[in-house]
Order: sequence, then structure tokens, then C-alpha cells
Amino acid sequence: MDNQTISARQYMFLVIFFIIGSSILIVPTPLAAQGKQDAWMSVILSILFGVVLVMFLNKIGSLSSGKTFVQAAIFVFGNWAGRLFCIFYLSFLYILASLVLRNIGDFMTTQIIPETPLQFTHTLFLLVIIGGTYLGIEAIARSSEIFMPWMVILLIFLTISMMPQINVDQLKPILGNGVLPVINSSSIVIGTPLLEMAALLMIFPYVKEERKAKHAWILGTIIGGGVLFLITTLCLLVLGSDLTALNAYPTYRIGQKINIAGFLEGLEIIIAIIWMLTIFFKLIILYYATSVGIAQFLTMKDHRPLLLPLGMGMVVLSIIAYPDVAYFETFVGEVWLSYSLTHGLILPAILMIGLLIKKRVSGS
Amino acid sequence: MKTYNFPFRKLLLILICLLLLTGCWNSRELDELGIVVTLGIDKTDEGDYILSVQVINPSEIATDAPTSRPPVSTYTTTGRTLMEAFRRLTAKNPRTTYLSQLRLVILGKTVAEEGVMPVLDLLYRDHEFRTSFYVTVAKNAPVESMLSIITPYEKIPANKIMSSIENVERHWAATKGVSIDKVIASIRNPGEDPVMSGILLLGEEDIGTNISNVENVDAPTKLEIDEIGVFKGDKLVGWLNELESQGLNYATGNVHSTVITHPCQDEGSLSVELLRTSGAMKGKIKNNQPVIDIKVEAEGNVGEVDCKVDLSKPEALEKVNKQAEKAIKESIEATLAKAQKEYGSDVFGFGGVIHRDQPKYWKKVEKEWSSYYQDVEVNIDATVKIRRKGNSTQPINKES
Repeated sequence: MDNQTISARQYMFLVIFFIIGSSILIVPTPLAAQGKQDAWMSVILSILFGVVLVMFLNKIGSLSSGKTFVQAAIFVFGNWAGRLFCIFYLSFLYILASLVLRNIGDFMTTQIIPETPLQFTHTLFLLVIIGGTYLGIEAIARSSEIFMPWMVILLIFLTISMMPQINVDQLKPILGNGVLPVINSSSIVIGTPLLEMAALLMIFPYVKEERKAKHAWILGTIIGGGVLFLITTLCLLVLGSDLTALNAYPTYRIGQKINIAGFLEGLEIIIAIIWMLTIFFKLIILYYATSVGIAQFLTMKDHRPLLLPLGMGMVVLSIIAYPDVAYFETFVGEVWLSYSLTHGLILPAILMIGLLIKKRVSGS
Repeated sequence: MKTYNFPFRKLLLILICLLLLTGCWNSRELDELGIVVTLGIDKTDEGDYILSVQVINPSEIATDAPTSRPPVSTYTTTGRTLMEAFRRLTAKNPRTTYLSQLRLVILGKTVAEEGVMPVLDLLYRDHEFRTSFYVTVAKNAPVESMLSIITPYEKIPANKIMSSIENVERHWAATKGVSIDKVIASIRNPGEDPVMSGILLLGEEDIGTNISNVENVDAPTKLEIDEIGVFKGDKLVGWLNELESQGLNYATGNVHSTVITHPCQDEGSLSVELLRTSGAMKGKIKNNQPVIDIKVEAEGNVGEVDCKVDLSKPEALEKVNKQAEKAIKESIEATLAKAQKEYGSDVFGFGGVIHRDQPKYWKKVEKEWSSYYQDVEVNIDATVKIRRKGNSTQPINKES
């Protein structure tokens, strides 16, 4: 949109935050329910898938030569078909953003402030997001550089303080139920967050050097996936697979178990800080992608006038998106994978085919 | 980028801040909270829950000039569910209960015998509960009376019990402090059964509820940590005595330090202080039957000698080693006789060991594990190494 650029390193940080955000909250429970004590292996499997996926998305990024997903789609498929194509993509981003917003709202309401109505949590959270998006991608990327050390420090603190409570026996027997559950449950991490990375195609063109950006994307995926692996494994080691599957927010539960020399207790809010940070970045990336995408869709010069109306819509959508948490669990378990597969893999694949054909036609 | 210049922009910003910085929606001030330190849960004959909460009296705890008011107050009410009982408490307790500082849950005998799973749900689901409290069973008195005793030395009875449990675990190894997630995990695991510490009320209840109880140097009414209560599934089936409780802790590697006493050859006895112990279990299959190998390794000192023995000779210490090993074996065997043969409760987690080491076999027996469990063959191997003997080289009463 505007002529802002970000560095490859900043892009890598954004990718890491994007992968951890909200997945760290919602992924360990279904993983442990399906994969049992082998859930950690399915995270590794899905990271492998993620690397292949990113190579594919990188290819689209370089084929569209500096165009965002929306611009490239309109360029390839023409004004009408291209826009129809974009409606699917943009609605995916918008719905995903409101679900992410609802995740943090649900968590806050369940664990910290049960009597505060969701609207208020959502509105306050979104106000900051809108402020950040108003300032543009450079400001977002720089703030990711500021907050990354915090997240790393808090993660290290969490890991070290959980060490005394680790019980390696919880991971045994290794592959006790065979390989099948491991493969099946890896689809959970593939659905959230890996396939959602198609949203990053809206930001990819802003990275200064394309070659470095590709490496940064792959590295970011591996590091972000590594953090998910670490958190899932910690949950399994401390709580065991049965209790991890029983808890709505197992990472918060292990935070409650931190006990350093009998006086440093009740540090679970530190875990909540990691979530707030990562979810903030995931949401701001999605929000930026949506608003810039819609602006390009409407060939507007500036995405900023869209921010407030989109935000108002999102507060409403996030609340009516699902009526209760049981609905959400079913939705994530049964619907989400196919939804993110069509919009995060098949749409980009169609675009790639289009780009390749277009290149050949114009080349000859 | 165009900046919008609105009149009174700063004023507007300040007004927004005023709105947002007023505090939390859910804010609760300290003087509105009844900080609960102990929960007592039992059942009436009609099947309703009896809920007793012990809240601390902050002005009494913090003051330098104590008054005659007790440091804690106890409220009791009933309800069809615990949640209902908690809300009904508001009719008695002037402050809303705050549960994050909870130290101890005491389950009544009735509820323990009828099954504890239903009462644990709220304690695990509600957001105010942490998992850092111990779950215990009231052994010889109603829960309400246990919660009404005023304890000497520690003003808050819950702190007294909690530190007693920790001390017994650390220095005597005759009990086991279990947190709620451990209890839930072992009930849900088909290859393990839970245990809990018991709590005893000693002396007259009527005296104990009065503050004059702690005006005596030797308080007439006390709370004491008893040994371990054994559950089968979520139902209390019996109790282990001191020796059997230690045996359980040896086998599960839960002994930090303890004392082993055995009689000497002619007269008197000798005590060994164990400083480091480790216990490990391994599962094997022999003739299609599960076999468990328990291996205990311990290191210690000669602690107290009241017999005629020449401690300067290595053979003498070797003999002490052998006797300590025998004592450890005997205590584990005693536990097996009680828990495995009599109660049929898998407190050791043998099923879990088989699951980890022999997953294929476990798949076959998982469903009817309890029928296999009582026939599991157990081999015990204990090694004790005495390293030092304290300040004296010989027994002080040695003749020669």
C-alpha cells in the first residue's frame, strides 16, 4: 500500500509470533487427546509439513514479483474473476482474525476476569490493534523486535522453572499406540496455524530482499514450530497426556504449578503475557492483511479509512461467530481443517497455476 | 500521511484515559475478600454435601497486639452440589470467599468412602483454584470439627498441617502429600490408584475449638498427620500404617530421608539415617504373567548406636548395611501384603509400569487390570551403603 519496507529479520519475528499466537492456547489439548503421550512427535511431523508448505508459498511470493496476494489474483484472473477469487481469501482472513480475537477473549473470561463481558475485552484489545495497523507495517515489525526478547526470556523462565516437576515416564511408552495417531493428530497443528500462513502472502512483498525473506520464512516456521513443540512437550511431561487433554488451557495450568523455593508462586500470569504478546501479533498481522487486502480490492489509495469500520464489524463477528465453547471445539475439530485447507492451500495453489500460465503466455 | 487536527484533541485523550484507567471490572479489594485456607467436604446421610470453609481473619494475623479473637473462622453449610453450597455460604460469611490461597482440602470419611471424583470436579474446573493445595482425608472425626481446632505455634491451622505433611515427607517418609492433579490423574489412569494423607484429631473437640486450647504449653487438642489412606478407584478402602507407608514411598522413590531402626545382636538397637534414596520399578513378562522388579538404592549414616558393636571394622558396617536392606525389603513386603493382597489397590502404579515397559501386553490386560493386579509377582532388591558414622568413632557404651 504505502512504500514501507521491513527487513528479513523482522519478517522472521512476525512469522514466529504468527505461528505461536493463539495456537499455544488451543493446540495442546486436542493434540494430547488424539496423540496421547506421542503428541510431541506429531508437532515435529507438522513442522516438516510446514517447511514444505512455506517453500510452496515462497514460490508464489517470488512468482507474483512484488504483488500482494490480492493484487496478484486480480492481475492473473482479471477484474471480475480475480475479485471473486479474492472475496474467498479476504473472508478467510477476516473470519480467522475474529476467531483469534475470540480465543483471547474466551481465555480472559474463563481464567482471569469472568464477569467482564466479552465485548469490552474485545474492544480494548482491538483498539490497540487498530492503532498499530494505522501506523503501518514498519511500526508493527519494529515492535515485534522489541517484544521478541521478552517472549524468549519468559519462555526460558517457564521451561527452567518447570524442570523440577518433569517426569520423563509420562512420555512412555513411545509409539505405544502405533504411528497412526501421531500422523492423524499432526493435522491439528497443520490446520492451526500452519495453513493460516497464507495470510502472510499479504506482507511478503514488503520485505526488502526477496531471497533473504524466503530463508526468514522457513527459519521462522521452524522456530515457531519449535516453540509449539516445547510447550506441548512441557505439558505432557508435567501433566501427562490425560490431564493435558482434560484441561482447557494446559499451558496456564502448568504455569500455576510453578513453585520456586516455596515463595515464588502463582506466576501463571507470566504465561498469559506470552499469549497476549503472540496473539497481539497474530491478530495485527491478520488485521493488517485484511484491511490492506480490502483496500487493494477496492483500489483505494489508503487502507486507513477502513480500519475503524472493519474493527466494529470484527467485534460483532467475534461474538456471534460461535455461541459457546463446545461449538468452538467441534468447529475446530471437524470443520477447521477442511476450511483452512481450501483457503490456505488450494486457493494459493490455483493462484500459482494462474501465475505460471500467465508467465508462460507473456513470455512467449 | 495527513494528520487530523481536531480541537481539544488532548482533552479528549485525557477523557478517554479517565474512562479506561478506573480499574478492573472484576476488581475486588482485599478487605472484601474472605481468604479461604482450608476446605472441608463431607456428605450428609441424605446425600447432600457439607461444605466447611476456614477463612483467615486478616486483622488478627497481621497485628502486633493480638486480641482474644481467633485467627481463623469456620463456616459450614450444605448443598446438593459444592457450587451451590459455596453460594449459600454468602448467607453466613460476610465476605465473598477467595480460593486462590487455598492450602488444604480435607475430605470427610463418608465422601471418601463413597467416591471423591464428584467433589474434585469443581476444584479442578473453577478458575479461582490453583493446584498447589494438598488433598487429605479426615480419619477419626467429622470434617467440621477438624476445621474448628485452633492450633498452637502456627496461627493458621492449614499452614500447620501443610508444613507437617511436608516435614513428614522430607524427614520421616511416612506420608505423602498429594495435589489435586495427582489425585485426578491416578484415578483416571487404569494402571494406578491414588493415596492421600490422613489427618487425626487428638484430644477433646470441645477444648480444641476454644482459643484457650493454645494458652497451654502442651495444647490438649491437636491435629496430627496420620499415615496414608489407600483408595481403589476413587473410593477409600483402607489405611497403611507407618511401616507400610514408608514401604510405599521406598518403592515409588519418594523417600528423601528417613530412619531405619533394627535390634542389635544381643541387646539394644541401632538407627541408620538414610540421606539419599532412589526407587525404580521395571516391568517384565514371565510366562505370560506380569512381573515387577523394584530396585531401591539408599545411602546413609550410622545415626544412633545402643549396642555392643565394633564400628571400626568394615564387616560391622557391612552387617548394618545388610540389616537396613532387610528392613527396607520388609517394609515394602508389608505394603504389598496390605495394598496388593488385602485391598487390591494399585497404589504403586504397577499398571503404569507395565504400560510403559510392556505396551503390547498392557493393551491386552488394560480392561481387566484389577483382576491381574493381585497376582503380579514382585521382586525387591534393596542396596544400602553406610558412608559415615557421625562424630563418634565407637559406641559410647562400648566396653573395652
